[in-house]
Parts: sequence; structure tokens; C-alpha cells
Amino acid sequence: MDLVFTERQRAFRAEVRDWLAAHVPPEPLPSMDTETGFERHREWERTLAGARLSAVSWPREHGGRDADLIDWLIFEEEYWSHGAPGRVSQNGVFLLGPTLMAHGTEEQKRRLLPRMARADDIWAQAWSEPEAGSDLAALRATATPDGDGWRLTGQKTWSSRAAHADWCFGLFRSDPGARRHRGLTYFLVPLTADGVTVRPIAQLDGEHGFADIFFDDVYAPAGQVLGEPGAGWRVAMATAGSERGITLRSPGRFMATSDRLLALARESDDQTLRDAAVRAWADADAYRLYAFHAAARAAGGAEPGPEASLTKVFWSELDLRMHEVALELLGPRVTAQWLDGFLFALAGPIYAGTNEIQRNIIAERVLGLPR
Amino acid sequence: MRFAVTEDQRLLAGAVGEALAATCPPAAVREAGRDPAARRAAAWQALAEVGLLGALVPEEHGGLGLTIADTVLAYVETGRHAVPGPLVESAVAAPSLVGPDWLVKLAAGVATVSVAMPHLLDADLADLLVVRSGAAIVLAEPGEITLIPNVSIDATRRLFSAGPYRPGPPGRKTHGTEAAGGALASDTGIAGGFHEGFDRPVEHAFDQAFDRAALATAAQLIGLGRWLLDASVAHARRRRQFGAAVGSFQAVKHRLADVAIALEFAAPVVYRAAYALTHRTPTARRDVAAAKIAAGEAAGGAARGALQVHGAAGYTGELDLHLWLTRVWALRAAWGDESLHRARLRDALLGDSPVERLP
Repeated sequence: MDLVFTERQRAFRAEVRDWLAAHVPPEPLPSMDTETGFERHREWERTLAGARLSAVSWPREHGGRDADLIDWLIFEEEYWSHGAPGRVSQNGVFLLGPTLMAHGTEEQKRRLLPRMARADDIWAQAWSEPEAGSDLAALRATATPDGDGWRLTGQKTWSSRAAHADWCFGLFRSDPGARRHRGLTYFLVPLTADGVTVRPIAQLDGEHGFADIFFDDVYAPAGQVLGEPGAGWRVAMATAGSERGITLRSPGRFMATSDRLLALARESDDQTLRDAAVRAWADADAYRLYAFHAAARAAGGAEPGPEASLTKVFWSELDLRMHEVALELLGPRVTAQWLDGFLFALAGPIYAGTNEIQRNIIAERVLGLPR
Repeated sequence: MRFAVTEDQRLLAGAVGEALAATCPPAAVREAGRDPAARRAAAWQALAEVGLLGALVPEEHGGLGLTIADTVLAYVETGRHAVPGPLVESAVAAPSLVGPDWLVKLAAGVATVSVAMPHLLDADLADLLVVRSGAAIVLAEPGEITLIPNVSIDATRRLFSAGPYRPGPPGRKTHGTEAAGGALASDTGIAGGFHEGFDRPVEHAFDQAFDRAALATAAQLIGLGRWLLDASVAHARRRRQFGAAVGSFQAVKHRLADVAIALEFAAPVVYRAAYALTHRTPTARRDVAAAKIAAGEAAGGAARGALQVHGAAGYTGELDLHLWLTRVWALRAAWGDESLHRARLRDALLGDSPVERLP
């Protein structure tokens, strides 16, 4: 059992820290859910990419640094503690990227990954449909063979970043005879393709971060299928695993929030809230230790599995609790940063599979309770 | 950075788990609640044989000379099997508090020690009673301290307060101080900050004993919690109502999922505290506090969840479940209840000194 960073890890941290100190914008960028803000965030991603810091855990050949999980955790700790901008490219870099590397063809990787790392393409997820949210396997959008390619028809909804993104990825029903999880195919679709209509949806925070995506007989060549036709569910679960595990929402993000929360608590004489802040800090710290432990297990060859659901419930509920405590500590002095953070945290227990779905997965696939 | 259990740690834990599976079935735990002698029966001897009783005792005194980090997984196993007796007191706390003669006996498994924190656990069967009195450590043999029974939620754990102290003939090695008889309190004027064969200040020795014992107790709580979760899952798969296994109902699933989450995130906190104690990091005390709280809350949730999932059957004394439930409740209060550890965490995090994260 060893909890000491190596010389190399410390050097990497120092490099990231120095770079961030010199480059993080002094003022927060406008919301990425506005047109201007989206492009400002895209510019920031390009700045990161210029230092090979936009996708550190990717292989070098695709624009990354071959960082292992510990390096990635270090990067994230520094990133969020410096108050760097939210990652407009996260759907691509953290979710689709690893899935592409595992299931994509060499041609797809060469074509798509470098553009993703430079934020030339920013990706949106197209999972949910009006009648298929938590029950994703109830999805109805179809893919019909057409020559060497496919024709896509249907509606995806609540698609984060879609209002301004360049591409989307999602599941379509390619075998009308198959039911539920079978006969689904994973597609990569440019949002500029003929027949695609994006309708931004106003969110409760007043922004238009997510959108409906309508597909009206959209042509998708064979090169836009990820994995084997019909094997879409399995490919999608790889993406979902990334989304729920430590790679989308790393401990660093919550450590930074918990440090800011502790600073608020020091100024307060409300013992209940002080204790709540201390507890939240300890929980963020626990998530960090869990991640280090998971990294050691992964280095030992353990495959990430349904345990990702444990993580997702933990960080999403911690994030919300921290913001609730902060709002109480601040009262009328609440700042835009905490308020925006609170609204964003409210979405945590819903996106990436609601926490109810995660608890079902934990119960059935980790604990072995009957379906 | 490799925050993982080592092969040696796993081997020791495996040996402890096997020894306890053979010698400490639920019936043995139950028996310990009826017959005081059963608290020091086959399991005690088995733990001596695998080396756990002397794990923290230096090799020159017959122990293994291991660190607390080396043993943390083994203590998870002792919790999983709800092993009775003053194990943490004898094998974890006492090595910081007693001299070489007792260390040899501890490592050989021929002595048990009770340490007042503040109660004396299983003092009715202990060979040595350790009581802190002001700046002194008093090592007393049975009969030298009047034992006043206390209530205990766990029938396998008998608790006593230290009554009047009447030392035996002077010059005996077991005595820490040249104390006069009388009540054991900080104002009794018991002299001396050291006892024989002991080269560290009392304050330091007690702090070390306390922190190590709190950590081992936290590890036991993780093991108890895991046993309770396993038992709950097994019951929920077996028990049928409304024509289906009760474990197929979401209300039950979600409750047990929460138990699993809490245990999963508490365990690394406990491992980190073991690491911090072993390496004497400046955050060690804070880390132990965090571990005791996280493990106590996770095990407490596992106990409540287990009782609820087992329903009325769980409330009976016929099922073994209650032995694990009462142990959890007892250990949450042992070696610093969560209120004490929360205060330590608060002081460390909200005080004037900057908060360090290690590594």
C-alpha cells in the first residue's frame, strides 16, 4: 500500500499547474450553453489541445499523452482547483473517445479522434427519446439499409450540447424484427447532415444547453457506424460505463468545490452547516481515495464493470449536497458561481442514467438481487 | 502511488478469515454472550496461531513486528466474523501501553488485556487492566481494581467502570506507577509519567494506542457491514412475498444499493488511515477520525438496512443477525464515538492551520 506520488507524477502535476496558472482565463467564460459561450469554450479547448492537455488519457497518436488513470486524476485535480472552464468537449473526449478506441475502425479513429481532441468537432449525445429515457431500450428511432449505408429517422431529445455541437452519437433500431436491446446500431452523425433538424430546448436555468434532434431520412454511410451493426447496445454500454465511472466526473472537480465550501464554513458560526461542510469535504476526499484505489485495481487488470454505478450515485449526490450547504451558508450573499453550480448539480442525479436506474444496476448486477 | 492491498496483507487476512471460519461460527459468537469464558475460546487460540495477536508486537518480544497497515484487512475479517473478546484492546491497543513481559504473553496468546476507553471491555476475564490516571498509566492485575458493571448493548461485550484501586505488593513489574490506593481519577496524585520498561511519554503512548485501536475498530465495522450486506442480499433473494422474492422490489433494492455504496466508499478511507498511522503523517489523527466516522456510518446503515430487510425475523434472537447488529452499535461507540471523531475532524478542517491533502 503506497500513497506517495512518484517523481514523474509530481513533475507532471507541476507542469500542469504551471501551464494552468499561465493560461486559465482570469474571468469565467460566458455559459457554454450560449452561442458565444460555446465558441469561447471551443477556443479554450484548442488552447488546451495546443499543450496536449485536452485529452491527456488518450494515446499520443490521437493527440493525448498516454496518461494513466493516476496522471489523469492529477490533471483533473489541478484543472478544477485552478477554476478552469467547464469542458464543452466532454461528450467526445471522455465518453465517445474511449468507445471509439475500443470499438472503432482504424480509419474512424484517424478521421475522428484528432478533430475531437482539437475541438474541431464537438459532440453531443443522442440517447434519450421522448418515450425512451430511463428505459433506453424502448427507443424507436430507426436505421434502414440503403445501399452501402443507412437511412436514419426518428427523434432524440434532451441532448446536451446539441444546440451548438457539430456531431452526435446515438442508437438506432436497425432490425425491425428484434426487440429491446437487440437489433440496435450505434451511429455517428454530423448535425449538419441533410434531414437533421436541431431544436434547442430551454432549461430550468434559462439556457438552451440541450435540444431535440429530428432525423428525417438522414443518410449515414457505413463509415458512420461504430462497432458492428446490431451490436449497438454493447457499444453504448461502454460509453455509459465511462459516463458513470470516474472518467466523466473526477474527484478533482468535487475536491475543488469542497475546498471552497470549507472556506465558507470557516466564516460561519452555524454548527450544523459547519459540520455538513466538514462532512462533504471528507466525502470528496473519500471519492478521491476510492479513485486511487480503483486506479490501482485497474492497473492490476480489473475491468470496469457495473461498479461505475456506485460512483455515479456517490458523486452526483455529493455535488448536490455541497451546493445546498453552500447556498444555506451564503443566504442572501449567494454568488453566480454557487448558483450556477447548484443548478448544474441538480441535473447530476438525472443525467447519465438516473440514480434510480443506477441503484437498480447496483442491486441487480453488483449485489445479485433478482430482476 | 499504488493504493492497493499488498499480497502479504491479503495473505494475512486470508489466514485470519480461514481461522475464524473454522473456529468462530455464529454459534461461538452467541455462546460468548452466555458464557464469559467463551470470549476467549478456540478463536482466540487460532488468532494467536496465525499471528494476529502478536502482529504489532516487535519481533524481539515474540511478535511479527508488523505495522497497522499490514493488519488492516485482517481486522476487516475479524469484523466479518464478529469475533468476540478484547481483541482490539489486547492486540492493537495494549502493545503501545505495556512493557516487554506483557508483550511476550500477548504475542503468545496467553494473556488478554482490557484498556479503559473509558470502559473496561471484558475486564472480567482480562489478565491485565490498563487505566489511564492523569499523567500516568496504571497497569493493574485482576482484583486490584474494583469493577463496576456497565450496561452494554452487545451481550458478547461486557463493560465495566474502574472502581477503587488497591495495588498489590510494591515492586511488581506490572505496576506502572508507585501509586497509592484509592479512586482512579486525575486528582488522585498518582505519580510518574512513565512505567517500567516503557520509554515513551504516557500521553504519546495513549494517543498511539487510541488511534490504532480506533482504526482497527473502523476496519472491523467494514467487515461487520459487509457481512450484514451479504446476509441481507441472501435473505432478500430467498424470502418470497406477493409471489416474488422481496429482493426484486425496488424499495428493497435501493436500500441495499445505498448500503453497498457507503461501504464501498468507506473502505479506502480506512485503508488510508492505516497508511497514515503507519507512516506517521501529520494528518494521521484526522484520517483516523474520518475512517471511524465513515466506517461507523456505513456499518450503521448496513445494520439498519439488514434489520429492515429481514423484517420481524431479524428482530428475533433466534436469527444470528442480532449478534452482528449489536456489535455494530457497540463498536460505533467504542474507541471514540462519532461525536468525538467529528470534533477532531472539525478542528483539523476548520481550524487556523491550512488543510493539507496527502499525498
